[in-house]
Amino acid sequence: MSTFRLADVPMGIDRTAGFQYVRAAGDVVQAADDGTWLLTSEEAVRFAQHNPAIFSSAGAIADQSAGMLPMPPVAVDRPDHTKYRKVLDPMFSPRVVNAMEDELRCQVRDLIAAFADRGECDAVAELARLYPAQVFLTFFGMPLADRDQLLDWVETILDNGNGVGTAQGSPAVVDSATALLTYIADYIERKRQSPGDDVLSRVLALQGDEAWKVEELLGFTFIFTMAGLDTVAAAIGFAMRNLALNPDLRRSIIADPALLGPFIEESLRFEPPAHLVTRITTQDVDVCGVRIPKGETVSLYLGTANRDRNRYADPDAFDLSHSDTGHLTFGGGIHRCLGSHLARGELRLVIEEFHRLIPEYQVPPGFEPEVKWPAATLRLASLPLTFPTTTSR
Amino acid sequence: MVRLHIDYDLCSGNGRCYALFPDLFTDDENGYGQTVDGGRVSDHELARRATLCCPEKAITAEE
Repeated sequence: MSTFRLADVPMGIDRTAGFQYVRAAGDVVQAADDGTWLLTSEEAVRFAQHNPAIFSSAGAIADQSAGMLPMPPVAVDRPDHTKYRKVLDPMFSPRVVNAMEDELRCQVRDLIAAFADRGECDAVAELARLYPAQVFLTFFGMPLADRDQLLDWVETILDNGNGVGTAQGSPAVVDSATALLTYIADYIERKRQSPGDDVLSRVLALQGDEAWKVEELLGFTFIFTMAGLDTVAAAIGFAMRNLALNPDLRRSIIADPALLGPFIEESLRFEPPAHLVTRITTQDVDVCGVRIPKGETVSLYLGTANRDRNRYADPDAFDLSHSDTGHLTFGGGIHRCLGSHLARGELRLVIEEFHRLIPEYQVPPGFEPEVKWPAATLRLASLPLTFPTTTSR
Repeated sequence: MVRLHIDYDLCSGNGRCYALFPDLFTDDENGYGQTVDGGRVSDHELARRATLCCPEKAITAEE
């Protein structure tokens, strides 16, 4: 085993330094922390993504806090995976996201209006963290009034674990997971009694071979909250940081809305919140000349795959022209992030509405935005911003 | 004239093609891309850029 340890990676202040450190360990490296294998090159990551029978998701994302619940589609292999995605993809397609735009735009506008007259805010605590939770509640047909309770449960589970679904069984985690599952189960029953136009009701309406068991819907909704809230919050935090620190770029995006899409893609490429995803090998396999035995835990390191010099000439530069070339922040292969279209929509609405009310803003001098490390999700803990208020402008 | 082709063994519904090149691609109800007009494109440079946008490298251009 190498001497490389994930815990030693200098990720806190600067992701470029962190990713360079990871990449320098080699295309394929076994971390000394816990024996997990890391695939760091684009070629190695793609090989794993395109061989899901060898790099299994079943068992790779076992959630102790949620007991033995099935976690479709994230922790399911083919052929069942195909069945789940066939049902879920149309519910999270760009068409569906676009149809929700007006409502989702109003929600983010309200969040920003709450601090727009104050001259300062924490863009993570008051915006990035809250909005994805509201969008989840909206899509799943639950009341926005439950947002803070939902966040409390989800954050307790995630903050006390070291990855999606790898939460340790501390009493606080078990209590939160139990409360969250009870909450979801209660809504599944309510939607069965009185269906609405939401994800829970649509899954419950499936008939015959397509129909899901209650525990499948429970597990899916649970894992959606684990994977889809803090990752989007993280992406919003990084994007707002990039805009705050680059006033020229920000002004050019405000002047030319066609630059917003490329900016969002480059922000996503530069700092993928889910910097790694985990698989279990089902057989011995050679990756880039390195033999990985059967039954090993393998991390597909998306952070470095997005910085691969075979894909980008200057991968460590933040450059909107990189958006011409697709990135791997939403993963790839059959497990491509189900919520990717939703996440992109949320990022666009946040930035559009923020700039409508607050076009000029900055990070207070002396504050250095930092991520917690090691962590399953890379995200800024806090992003204070100051700006002229409407009255002072 | 080149012809764009989507390899559905590789396409995973990222949706970049129709978001970035709405004249060349459209989406189906599952969010997967489809070529427009049989994938026929007269602008070679445009077609080349369209092949790059796919994270899965599922799009190819044939002369």
